Amino acid sequence: MPSLSFRNKTSFTLPLILLIFSGISLSGQNISTKQKAGEEIFIARIKQFNEFVARFNYKSDFKGNPVDSLFRVKMPREKMIPLLFDMKDLRLKNVGIKNSDDFIKTKSDFIREVIKNDLLINKYSQGIIAEARSKVLFNGEPRIVRVFLNQEIVENDMVKWTILTVKGDIFDIFKTDTSMVRFIPPSSNETDFINLKRALDDTEHLQNYASRNFEPDYLTLFFYCIKSGLIRYEYVEEVVYHIIDIPGWHFKVKEFNRNELNSGWLITDVARNNLSFSEFLKRL
Amino acid sequence: MLRKILLSGLIFSVCILLAAQTKTAVTSKQAKITDEINLSPADIEVFKEQTKQKVEEFQQYIVTLGNKDEPVEKRNMAEKEALKLFYKGAQMEISFVMADGSIQKINRPMEKYLARLKSLPYTKVIIKFYDIAYISEFTKGPDGKYYSTATIIQEFTGFSNDDIIYTDVTKKDIEIIIDIVEDKFFQEKRWKIFLGDIKATETRTTTASL
Repeated sequence: MPSLSFRNKTSFTLPLILLIFSGISLSGQNISTKQKAGEEIFIARIKQFNEFVARFNYKSDFKGNPVDSLFRVKMPREKMIPLLFDMKDLRLKNVGIKNSDDFIKTKSDFIREVIKNDLLINKYSQGIIAEARSKVLFNGEPRIVRVFLNQEIVENDMVKWTILTVKGDIFDIFKTDTSMVRFIPPSSNETDFINLKRALDDTEHLQNYASRNFEPDYLTLFFYCIKSGLIRYEYVEEVVYHIIDIPGWHFKVKEFNRNELNSGWLITDVARNNLSFSEFLKRL
Repeated sequence: MLRKILLSGLIFSVCILLAAQTKTAVTSKQAKITDEINLSPADIEVFKEQTKQKVEEFQQYIVTLGNKDEPVEKRNMAEKEALKLFYKGAQMEISFVMADGSIQKINRPMEKYLARLKSLPYTKVIIKFYDIAYISEFTKGPDGKYYSTATIIQEFTGFSNDDIIYTDVTKKDIEIIIDIVEDKFFQEKRWKIFLGDIKATETRTTTASL
């Protein structure tokens, strides 16, 4: 059903099709005209996050083969990178209320900087943060928890993903109330902290009794809740990658599951970023 | 006295020599194990080719066990052989997009998934796979095994008599594991490719009204 892939033509579609299949016939694998529409989409689709990184780094062509001189001529990197964006992003459209000149400019600046400085993503970078939006059962009720992970290199050549932190409204256990000043009085030590009982009975505002440096560790809380059976982990609903491996930039990559050439793992947002790793993680 | 000193010296030298030999032996043994547990880039390329074959083998078994025109014995055999390709405990995770846009996922042990596929309530089932598969580079895990992912596309059509009542196109991401296994017959260890968990995502579904 070839019409499927060509039904919603956008400005990038035709050049991409010509390029993918001219590339294929050039490499001597004559599958262009006979290929089913679905297979055409499958080739163009960025099927894995790994493939996204390979295309971003200009290491592989649409078929996963190493980029060669012919491909470089037909599809220079400045044409390849724009294809990694979600073309259906309404901010990129020239018309419409969601059109954003700022975003279009940011995108162009990002692409220009990547090309000019030949910037690459390190496949195993700690600056690739995966957000696994997960379904959990909290006290039997379905809730969403965002689990953030990145990769750790073990003994030089081995890799694993590790959990950095978790976020979700189930961890918003404290209420903010500025109408009352809550504290443990200065003389409490002399009464062997009788007031401690009073403070810890104030269950909604416990954070007010902690030191000014107190920062809740949600991951420990999450592990405890799982261990105690308060939370039951179900499954990952969706994964979004936050990439801060390109200096000065942050961009998001997520999977667009649609039957079009512009599908699979695509850039869904890009913005300037000057935050440190820990600050960035806090703001996610 | 001189003999005593010479004898002590000799014993001391022999001890040092033995200790050195032992250390060398340990070092060389470690080196051998390290050699054994690392795959060279050339080896990995060979395994990448073999992965394609394993995935094709799996696809062939799926086609056979889904095909109700095939003899029951052949379909049972396909189910059994397909299972042998998998790592113990491998699961199939299938995701569905619900009417409200939320995602529902179901996990099934591979045994149950294959058994279910064999007994679907259609009079006829046609399963096709695209000729192409995408296989990512292998990465070594902390357990010494090598990991990769193969992505394939499956077209499924379910019939009631001659009418198509259900079709879907699913993307399947298959975990690939290269692990060392012990060949008891030849009493040697060798690397072997296994299929692991599979994530299946529907890309297109059509349910025809009966």
